[in-house]
Amino acid sequence: MAVIELKNVRKYYGALEVIKGVDIRVEDGEFAVFVGPSGCGKSTLLRMIAGLEGIDGGDFLLDGRRMNDIAPDKRGIAMVFQSYALYPHMSVAENIGFSLDLKKVPKATIRKEVEAIAEILQLTDYLDRRPAALSGGQRQRVAIGRAIIKKPAVILFDEPLSNLDASLRVQMRAELQRLHRDLKATVVYVTHDQVEAMTMADRIVVLKGGEVAQADAPIALYHRPDNAFVATFIGSPRMNLVPVTIARAADGKAEVTAARLGAIHIDDSAMPLPTGPAQLGVRPEHLRLAADADGDFDSEILVVERLGVETYLTIGSLDQPIMVRVEGDIAMRPGDRARFSIDRQSCHFFDMAGRALPRA
Amino acid sequence: MAPHHAHNPSKRRGADLSAYATLSVISIFCAIPFFWVLLASIDGNASLFLQWPRELTIDNYVRIFMQEDGTRWVLNSLFVVGTATLIVMVLAGLGGYALSRTRAWWKRPFLYTILLIRVLPTTALIVPLYKVLLTANNWLGGVLRAIFGNGPAREILKYVGFIDGYLGLILVLATMQLPLALWIMKTFFDTVPRDYEEAALMDGATMLQRIRRVLIPLALPGLGAAGLFAFISAWGDFLLPLILLSSPDLQTLPLGLFRAFLRVNTIDYGFLAALAFVYLLPAVIAFGFARRFLVQTFSGGVKG
Amino acid sequence: MPWIQLSYERRVAWQLRLILLPSVLLLLAFVIYPAVYSIYLSLTNEALTGAAALKPRFVGTRNYARLFSDAKFWNSLLVTLIFVIGSAVIGQFVLGLVSAVLLRRPLRWKPIFNSIILLPNAVPEVVAGFMWISMLAGGERATLSRIVAFFGIPAADWLQTFPLTMIIIVNTWRGIATAMILLTAGLSAISEEIYEAARMDGATPRQMFTRITLPLIAPTIFLYMLVSTVSTIAIFGFVYALTRGGPGGATELISIYIYNQSFTAFQLGYGSAVAVVALAFSLLIGVVYVRALKVEV
Repeated sequence: MAVIELKNVRKYYGALEVIKGVDIRVEDGEFAVFVGPSGCGKSTLLRMIAGLEGIDGGDFLLDGRRMNDIAPDKRGIAMVFQSYALYPHMSVAENIGFSLDLKKVPKATIRKEVEAIAEILQLTDYLDRRPAALSGGQRQRVAIGRAIIKKPAVILFDEPLSNLDASLRVQMRAELQRLHRDLKATVVYVTHDQVEAMTMADRIVVLKGGEVAQADAPIALYHRPDNAFVATFIGSPRMNLVPVTIARAADGKAEVTAARLGAIHIDDSAMPLPTGPAQLGVRPEHLRLAADADGDFDSEILVVERLGVETYLTIGSLDQPIMVRVEGDIAMRPGDRARFSIDRQSCHFFDMAGRALPRA
Repeated sequence: MAPHHAHNPSKRRGADLSAYATLSVISIFCAIPFFWVLLASIDGNASLFLQWPRELTIDNYVRIFMQEDGTRWVLNSLFVVGTATLIVMVLAGLGGYALSRTRAWWKRPFLYTILLIRVLPTTALIVPLYKVLLTANNWLGGVLRAIFGNGPAREILKYVGFIDGYLGLILVLATMQLPLALWIMKTFFDTVPRDYEEAALMDGATMLQRIRRVLIPLALPGLGAAGLFAFISAWGDFLLPLILLSSPDLQTLPLGLFRAFLRVNTIDYGFLAALAFVYLLPAVIAFGFARRFLVQTFSGGVKG
Repeated sequence: MPWIQLSYERRVAWQLRLILLPSVLLLLAFVIYPAVYSIYLSLTNEALTGAAALKPRFVGTRNYARLFSDAKFWNSLLVTLIFVIGSAVIGQFVLGLVSAVLLRRPLRWKPIFNSIILLPNAVPEVVAGFMWISMLAGGERATLSRIVAFFGIPAADWLQTFPLTMIIIVNTWRGIATAMILLTAGLSAISEEIYEAARMDGATPRQMFTRITLPLIAPTIFLYMLVSTVSTIAIFGFVYALTRGGPGGATELISIYIYNQSFTAFQLGYGSAVAVVALAFSLLIGVVYVRALKVEV
């Protein structure tokens, strides 16, 4: 059992408050990902859970027990570092077995445990090598091995895949998920890469400026972002935000007007939108090329990026570009004009402060 | 003149030739004194002048160790300088680590102070230092005499005395090397990521275990550099033993060489040259190992 | 255990202070305290022998007043100044710069030249003094006499006739390496592309040196001047072994003057006053140095 609770946790560097009263709950066995731009406090938060940074305010509870002042090695938590931090003067086996060696576990027992771990991580052939003689992916596995040999209730990962190349990263993502299923440990995983977060997490905590912007299941964040920050952070290419004016049309629907998009009518009878200035959020995949007859607005095409499987069109104006994602290869050229429609079901609205306006 | 592959090969060869010529002159200037020491030390009829030995002999070396007090001087020097170097390595290893890792307010003032201490000439400190050591020594002597009586106290003072005792010289020699060593270790630990210690901490290592099992193996190059520089500098120091030692028992190599040289009427250049060579050799060897660390040290520390 | 209540961070902070403590104690006892104590000593008539040794008295600024009218003190300052300028600022710097620049070329014997030039730097002070007693001996058979004879210069008793020049030469010999190492580091920080760009602009080798190399290593040169000045002020051993300050005070550097006043004339108080002047001067250069270094903490 390992339920992580952070209650109103704060951290100061001198007078600067870097963690501003964070509340997070991670259930037992859950794979939680802390994600956010650099400087959002995600690594600091992870290090506070590890015990490498002190907690200046609030409480960190593990299964209801207050851990603030427990030494890092007494918390039953293991950590995989971004740099892996493999001891360069020790072999792979010594690296993995170091924590047991420190506890004066008999050498034979250590060897047995290390071999079992190596089996899981496919490191058996490398046990006598030094870290310098390993590839990036192998080092990553050794770092994981060093963490799991302690049979921790919680494993922390600090941007573990950021030093790997793209293809290896995809492979390791799958391996980490398999490992999580097998170990049933609670995992807290820090990354700045929202794709990693979306693919691996049971629950994502989006952090911004030392505060939780939103915490929820990945797909919920995609469909129902609480604010413009989460909306634009999750999803790639990012969501388009367009300043609009909302008015009440004669038919009772909301009339949403934007400078270059013309006006669209949205049925908001279930939960009426407030009138006045607002921001319309629409993802590139929710804009479509339309036949001339229907569709919502015309635009000049500024940039065309043809990737084969899909095509990205930049429309609108350069100071306020709008990205459109179209399935398949579209032979268009900059300067062409086209007509587009907006998927009304997938429109998000935010007030001027960026808070989501509730929709049914 | 910059490093360049001049367009004109003959011009380049000319430039290379003049470079060879200039460097050769400088090198001869640097090397000549060594020739004399080396040649005179194996010359049966060595003189003050550079000459090719007519009869080769190792007599001079044999005499240092068999007839004169050479063995004692060498052992004293090795003991005093070796212990001082060891102290410097331990203290600078610990202190440099602390200086690198601390985030306390005193970090910057402390580092500035260390740099300023580096510029203080030992010669200017020697008078008050002598007074301080003298006072400490008198006090210690009083205590020892009260406990052990006059005779034994004198014997003990030879080891732990501050004036004319090993301890005083060792501690002062170590202290004088400490600022540079602290600086070397601090900058070295700055390059060692904290991740290693934190990983060890998560693995359950105590501070001592972290130092012994993780930090020392990682810090070996830095400790090596700090130790080598401390050794070379302490080994070459003349002023401190000159002022702090007087008993023949405690003489170190610089004093032995200096005093042997002062016996004006019986100057034996072959013997002196051999002694100088014996004294020179460890420094040169250490310097050979220390070479690759020279640049980073000079840019941070002071002194030549 | 009472400290178990301390947070991990606080405990580490205390552990760090604890392991720094021995170094601090040594530096306090044998550097800081003596430095401060020397100011007090300089205000007394402390001596090693005689009545003053038993009952030293506070004499105010009398030692300093005496300093001002002491021709030997002014002489030692002048000798030190000439020594610093002659050896550190000119001798070591010029030969070090020449060596550093020439050794940037891909010469075959580069490592050998490099090693030989570095070698004198490793020599213990007394050995350096001893070696040069031979080189600079009087008479026609002495090494220096034989070398200058090539150029038709008559032999002389070098240390007697040109004592200050000779110790400047010896110190230059010891210190070429320091200058060379620092300047090499400065030179290697200049990118090859800058020279290539200059060559595209039509610069001659001479212009490249004066218009590119020199300005770019100026900060290094400045740093070197400070470093070598303070370390040259501190020099004692080899000069003492060579001349003991003589003949007639011609090589009595301030360090030797301090030693002679304190341990030959046994005037600790007066010697301290001289030492305080040297300390203050070194500290002044040190402050400039620390500021120029822009230490990253």
